[in-house]
Amino acid sequence: MSGGDSSARSFKIGDRVRVKSANPHGNPRTPAYILGKAGVVTALHGRIDNPIDHRDIYPPLYTVEFEVREVFGGDNADRLAVDIHEEWLEPA
Amino acid sequence: MAEPAARPHSHMQDFEAHVRAVEEDLEYYRTKRFEPRVIHLHRRGAITFYDVIEAAAKLPAAAAATHAAQDGHEHEHDELEHRIRALEDRLDLYVKNIALTGVAVRGTRMVIDDGRIERGDYDPFFKIAKKPHHGTLAKRVAHLEADIGRYERLLAAFTEALVAAGALKPDELARQRAQIGTPSFQNGARIVARAWIDPVFKQALIEKGREAVRELDIPPGRLGKMGVADNTDAVHNVVVCTLCSCYPYDLLGDTPYWYKTEDYRHKIMRDPRGTLEEMFGLKVPAERAVRVHDSTSDVRWMVLPRRPKGTDGWSEDELATLVTRESLIGAAEALSPAERDARRRGEAAE
Repeated sequence: MSGGDSSARSFKIGDRVRVKSANPHGNPRTPAYILGKAGVVTALHGRIDNPIDHRDIYPPLYTVEFEVREVFGGDNADRLAVDIHEEWLEPA
Repeated sequence: MAEPAARPHSHMQDFEAHVRAVEEDLEYYRTKRFEPRVIHLHRRGAITFYDVIEAAAKLPAAAAATHAAQDGHEHEHDELEHRIRALEDRLDLYVKNIALTGVAVRGTRMVIDDGRIERGDYDPFFKIAKKPHHGTLAKRVAHLEADIGRYERLLAAFTEALVAAGALKPDELARQRAQIGTPSFQNGARIVARAWIDPVFKQALIEKGREAVRELDIPPGRLGKMGVADNTDAVHNVVVCTLCSCYPYDLLGDTPYWYKTEDYRHKIMRDPRGTLEEMFGLKVPAERAVRVHDSTSDVRWMVLPRRPKGTDGWSEDELATLVTRESLIGAAEALSPAERDARRRGEAAE
């Protein structure tokens, strides 16, 4: 089991969350551009058994929606939906 | 996650869950997809049970199951995993082969025993009997191997009988076998067309992803979860994988070349709307939001495009011809009827 983090908590749709800036024990495939950014939970996926891609069962996964301008700056009004494991998220 | 050409060696987390899934799926396909089809075609006069018996007699003898026991616990563990994987592959093939027997009789393809009556909601008498699964994991695996061997044999006999009776043409069967064995955007086209005409299916698709496509006799595949991003008049969705090239390719086939390019993966994140126009000529009006989904190996996204105007009353098969590979990624809308016809003329002229 990777990403064992006792501070991980559950979130629900509509929650404002922030992605941790660093998380040495977290899933290493969380994209770098999203670290430290705040967004809104839009879907709950739970724990996904995906033995073809990885041998561990990862912590629950959430779709979190961000604004492009929050992530990359500028004035773009479009949105980014990124799937992030629970141990990377904290309430915003 | 790099897309593996062949399944790499991997370790199952939970044998019990995999075995239970095979048990449930195998019985689902037997009782609700295969057997109703046999009875349906029998009752419509396309084939008789005697045809099936005769076809069975002509099949090559059943191969005896061989599982040389290996020494040591580690070997047993690896061997069990290997056998469970083999069962999953055979189940996939069983599902595909059932789909090949989808013969239309007087324009109607199939009835499915999947309703409330067969679930026993009204009277337990009508409930489809469930096969019990007992014993140790190894025993259950051995039972499944025996069951699937017999189910495959009956399905093979049924298929041969359909060919012998002239209900299935051998060349059509070969063509469909090649098509159905290959994940392709055609699967996506059928999924989208069904979602356009069936709101209950659409809801299940959005909630369950790939599990819902069984309804269409499409093997769901096993690469994580398939996320379904529903295009509406308020939102246009587009899919990318910024880390590599994750995509539900086991179900929807390969992505176009541009999906894997640095250029696309970089630009679509930073200026979604501008990139759609620049790279694909797709103008999304200002009042429609654009949402980019960054796929991972665990949730691989497909886009459910909007149903084009001017298609009221169209059949499911006809609607599927409007769905393109690009529209499943969000790089395009589904084709309008006029655009599709223009493409066909273009292809015919080549």
